[in-house]
Amino acid sequence: MKISFITFLFLFLAVWCPAQQTVVTVSGRIFDESNGETLIGATAFNVPEGVGATTNEYGFYSLAIEAGDSVELTFSYVGYQPLAYSLLLTKDTTLNIGLSTGVQLEEVVVKSNSYQEQLSSTEMSVEAVTTREAKLIPVLLGESDILKAIQLKPGIPSGSEGTTGIFVRGGSNDQNLIVLDEAVVYNANHLFGFFSTFNTDAVKDLKIYKGGFPPQYGGRLSSVIDVKLKEGNNQKFSGAGGIGLIASRLTLEGPVQKGNSSFIVSGRRTYVDIFTRAVNRAKMDDEEFNPIPDYYFYDLNTKINYQLGEKDRLFLSGYFGRDVFGVNGDFFDFDFDWGNATGTARWNHVFSPRLFANTTFTYSDYQYNIQNRVTGFSFKVGSNIRDANLKTDFYFVPNNRHAIRFGANITGHQFTVGRLKAGSDDGLVSFSAGQDFDAMECGLYFSDDISLTEKLAVNGGLRLSGFGNDNTFYFGLEPRLAARYSFSDKWAAKASYARMYQYLHLVSSTGVALPTDVWYPSSARVKPQQSHQVAAGVSYILADQFLINLEGYYKTMDNQLQFVDGAQLFVNDELEDEFAVGEGEAYGAEFSIEKKQGKLTGWIGYTLALIRLKNFTTLNPSGRFAQESEGFGAFFPIYDRRHDLSVVLLYEISRRLSATATFVYGSGDLRWLAPGRFSIQDIHGASFETVVPDYRARNNYRLPPYHRLDLGLVFRFFPRWGETDLTLSVVNVYDRRNTFFIYLEPEFEEVNNGGSVIEVPRRIVARQVSLFPILPSLTWNFKF
Amino acid sequence: MFVSLRPIFLLAALILACLSACNLEQEVNIDLPEYDSRLVVECYLEPGQAFSLLLSRSRPYFEPFPPLNQEFLNNILVDSAEVAIFHDGKTYSLRNQLAFNPFTRKVFNYYSSEVVPFDTASAFELSIQLPDGQALFAATRILPAVGIDSLVVQFEETDTLARVLTYFTDDPARKNYYRRMFHRSSLDSAAVQDFSVDDRILEGTAAFGTGYNYIVGDTVISTLFHIDQAYYEFLESLQDAVSANGNPFAQPSPIISNIEGTTDAIGIFTGISYDRKAIILRR
Repeated sequence: MKISFITFLFLFLAVWCPAQQTVVTVSGRIFDESNGETLIGATAFNVPEGVGATTNEYGFYSLAIEAGDSVELTFSYVGYQPLAYSLLLTKDTTLNIGLSTGVQLEEVVVKSNSYQEQLSSTEMSVEAVTTREAKLIPVLLGESDILKAIQLKPGIPSGSEGTTGIFVRGGSNDQNLIVLDEAVVYNANHLFGFFSTFNTDAVKDLKIYKGGFPPQYGGRLSSVIDVKLKEGNNQKFSGAGGIGLIASRLTLEGPVQKGNSSFIVSGRRTYVDIFTRAVNRAKMDDEEFNPIPDYYFYDLNTKINYQLGEKDRLFLSGYFGRDVFGVNGDFFDFDFDWGNATGTARWNHVFSPRLFANTTFTYSDYQYNIQNRVTGFSFKVGSNIRDANLKTDFYFVPNNRHAIRFGANITGHQFTVGRLKAGSDDGLVSFSAGQDFDAMECGLYFSDDISLTEKLAVNGGLRLSGFGNDNTFYFGLEPRLAARYSFSDKWAAKASYARMYQYLHLVSSTGVALPTDVWYPSSARVKPQQSHQVAAGVSYILADQFLINLEGYYKTMDNQLQFVDGAQLFVNDELEDEFAVGEGEAYGAEFSIEKKQGKLTGWIGYTLALIRLKNFTTLNPSGRFAQESEGFGAFFPIYDRRHDLSVVLLYEISRRLSATATFVYGSGDLRWLAPGRFSIQDIHGASFETVVPDYRARNNYRLPPYHRLDLGLVFRFFPRWGETDLTLSVVNVYDRRNTFFIYLEPEFEEVNNGGSVIEVPRRIVARQVSLFPILPSLTWNFKF
Repeated sequence: MFVSLRPIFLLAALILACLSACNLEQEVNIDLPEYDSRLVVECYLEPGQAFSLLLSRSRPYFEPFPPLNQEFLNNILVDSAEVAIFHDGKTYSLRNQLAFNPFTRKVFNYYSSEVVPFDTASAFELSIQLPDGQALFAATRILPAVGIDSLVVQFEETDTLARVLTYFTDDPARKNYYRRMFHRSSLDSAAVQDFSVDDRILEGTAAFGTGYNYIVGDTVISTLFHIDQAYYEFLESLQDAVSANGNPFAQPSPIISNIEGTTDAIGIFTGISYDRKAIILRR
């Protein structure tokens, strides 16, 4: 056995170690020369050998090269002018490269490279949107939103009126791991999801994995949304901001020590409340006037990074955001706030030209608080989840055929679910409720991205995850596998498999997501969610202009939670009794064609998908759960959308003028409507209910299709101090009345009944409520 | 409870109110799934009151309502069933007879002149034999009433408006469910408050309150029903069903009923016990 192990180790090292003494490694960072921002996914390419490496998420690359006296290296990144070097290489060399935007002398090369990189990567089911695209895409009330922009990509249904969650490949809204600088964000929405918590001015990069999850990610079933904040300009002090219809933004950044360290501070706040307060003050003496409630939200992002030396870099970043809602009257005060806070401390260390490490400590907090005070009585309710997470990731490039990652993380979770405290000032009445949980989650992973041949590459990995809550422990073995086969430099086929475990559950109703939805840990009765996903697809570069992707996927999910009929959701210390547990199955196909360069850019994405939930049983034996035909068959969740089409076009008419258009079309979402009705006369003193809806099978009605066209124009100006623009957005150009919800109500008529006039029901009518008419907006943006 | 627990809906209402100004609501024609009508049972056992039961049927949602005449009743009521209630070895047969109680203003189509005995120890069992051979069953008990400790009137110091607090004591030793009603003037007026709660957050003395909506001279009636779990779940599911129609934030609920049998039916068979206090407001 010992011999076998040593033999194995020998072979293992033989594969990883450089084959010849003459091989040296070039490594370093690739960054934007103008501001020092590291570039993620930039390419270092050894022209004679035809091999390359891309920068990881920290901007680090490592490329093994045969030593020589005139090694030709090219460094490139989409939208940047490539740099070519001819080097004398006799030993391992650190080469930090600054790229600049500007006139692209070799546009074709850069363009081709960007597609080639996607084609040659083993990663699949990945979508990204740049902040430039996000700022151009027309959006609601002019508030550019990178999270909304990513929802225009295939496989991420978008646009449904009032459906604010992100439902990736049939996954529910809680199955998205959203990380901001590696700290988990539990609720990425402001105002019921009309706006996301990410201020586009402060965001550097957003990437979403829909499948084929790399092993460094875990803890959610359906997607990973990785958001990186800018590092701050380390060359000069600069700023950006904007004034819109409902909010203003300001971002300031600059060097702390030029070239070595920088900071960025970015804030955003809505100001509708300033006007509503003025109206309330003006109408203070009007007894008929009901004061308009206060509402606003704000975000604050900060980040500092410091270059400790050639090999060490330190980052500190934080996010704090709140939605605040309040109603104050003569006899009562009502306050409701919710939001996230995250903090990240990150240390990058280059052990050697081939070994890079990132160690991160993150803190996340999501909470909501409701305070209600009526004379003599007070009432407070809230929930929160707090995480402290320590993780370390190693990135090891033994040679150009292997890119190895391994690491570990441990997270402490603290949950407070439905904390309630209420009582009278005199102490006569007092009651409280709520549950507290402490849980621990950990992960250990290893992966190797192997180029087996020039045509075939495989990324194999394994993640071991664990979770403990109140003497209940779960372990998950999560194999991940992805493979790419290149038929030519224009054709590639890819396939992947991922097993995922999710130990947290979001307790939310079938209706619109609310900030009061609470996170609930796995326990002895509530088992972790699990999924298997396989995906396969082909990519093709058409005429060096377009990247075409076609992917299919199949996913199964276990231990999916739904609420039982008549569930008591609020302040319930026995919440688990309200759960029903079942399975899910999703499959579909996604098609996209994308153009990244030239005056006209954009993409068309189409998804054909199906998601089914089935075999639900209640955790409480006396619980009830209505399913299709009462026969314990399958039913569809509200976000089951058969067809989803997005068209995004960005046209650079001139340096001063850009035009944008987005069109979305989706099959209608599902709703749970009552097919029957009955009357209840009730007991003495109660009202006669003429029409009581009789709900049967869940989600039994499909809404009309959703479609919408948005247009935008960006007028740019170039004053001496910087750049400004006026962004005109028109959302829902042809004023389509998309359905938010439908309700059914009786129409009454008055009849004379023995001398007295009474109202009797005559017929039932269905009414549709929409959220958005045509909505133009104008935003002024600036940067200096 | 003394505070409304629908905070989020305030914000939603604000948004919807703003948007409703843009005429974003319109009548639409939709096709609902097929619906099979089912039986609806209402039978409340109030000690000292006659046995009575209403047996009706549900209808497809969009079915037009017939004119208010015999056709209306035929459309809704189910006749020719044999209804009996068994209790403590005795059988109470309810005749198929349309009866109107002028005091409660309620209509029943099965009725017995015998009154419900006050007995919290033994169960009452309902049997309904339908003309088509199908049968329905249910069982319940009458609970002891939970007394109202006091009604306290509080005037706002700087105003003439008052609120009324209803104090009672929850027995922590057992699981209790309550229905609270509050009326102004008389029980025949629409209830100002009518909701049900369980005692999971109550600890000993509890209070139901009102808003500052009352003035000197007002008559107010506060009623505390002590209800069983089946009735509580029925009322909650009824509330969820009604409120989810038109509220996109709410989760609908099918009706949770304690009627069982060989055919599809919903409804409630329950005992009614309560304490009620009425006062005229004085400063």
